[in-house]
Amino acid sequence: MPAAGVVLIIAVVLIIGALAVYLLPTIWALIQITKGLDQAIKGVGELIEKSAPVNPVVADINANLDAAVSALEGLLVKKAGLPDALGLIDGLYPGAAAEGLRDFPESKTITPPRISEVYTRGTLTLARLGREAPIAAASPEGPVLRHVARSEVATRALYPDLRQTRPEKLPPSPVIGTDAPVQYEQALTPGVRAHMPQRGAAVLDRPTGGSGEESSEAPPPPAAKRGGFLRWKQG
Amino acid sequence: MILWWLGDIVLLFVVLPIVVYLLRGVLSTARGIVPHVQAIAAAAAAGSKDLDAVPLLLTTQDQIKRTVETIADYGGSLDVIVDDV
Repeated sequence: MPAAGVVLIIAVVLIIGALAVYLLPTIWALIQITKGLDQAIKGVGELIEKSAPVNPVVADINANLDAAVSALEGLLVKKAGLPDALGLIDGLYPGAAAEGLRDFPESKTITPPRISEVYTRGTLTLARLGREAPIAAASPEGPVLRHVARSEVATRALYPDLRQTRPEKLPPSPVIGTDAPVQYEQALTPGVRAHMPQRGAAVLDRPTGGSGEESSEAPPPPAAKRGGFLRWKQG
Repeated sequence: MILWWLGDIVLLFVVLPIVVYLLRGVLSTARGIVPHVQAIAAAAAAGSKDLDAVPLLLTTQDQIKRTVETIADYGGSLDVIVDDV
């Protein structure tokens, strides 16, 4: 064999050796890539599977919330009026009135009254719902709606045509405790007294007949028949 | 004979270096892809784990419905109690 042929064979062997040296690690790297892609595809599949019901559920939640917002906005406008409603919203969340109410496009053009500074009729109505409670208690970050230096009476003077529905003076609360004017024995069983009270029992006027005379044969009061604490007035 | 030697020289000093160069490039590129693919697989697995709370949306949906029903009840009562402007 000529020397050139030997060199040729050596060159081919070297090329084949280089192919083997570099291609085997490449194959190993490609195997690892395949495994990694399999894991990635599995994870992506889980992502798709798990996120599939998100859209309809979120859409349903948004639909319910939209309905609630529409109902509350409608109720607020119905009870307080559109300007006062916007003033109330702006008082609780400054700047929110600029966005207006969704179901009332004209609300964007209304300048909200300064309810946080001056009471209006709608605010007064809403404040009554909370029994004098600070109406802005739910939003401590915002300005307080109720002015601490002004009572509701002063506020009411702004609207003298409002109907007064509360009694001027409520009856006093009953006195209880050890120093109360009327003492009761402790019941053995709930609802059953050990002894009926002789003093302090309620006294009833005897029923009178049609002629206006006092009837001595009047039957005892129903509560007295059952051992109750009512008795007829003597004399 | 001269052509044989020329062929050997070309094979040894031209073809072999080019083959080695190309194979090294393929190998380095393949090895560079592996960590990226593993990172993608890890990110996909983590994303899938993050979505484990998605079924809780069903609970949220139910709670929202109940809350809206309660709001509607209160709103109806307020509509009756409070006078209109």
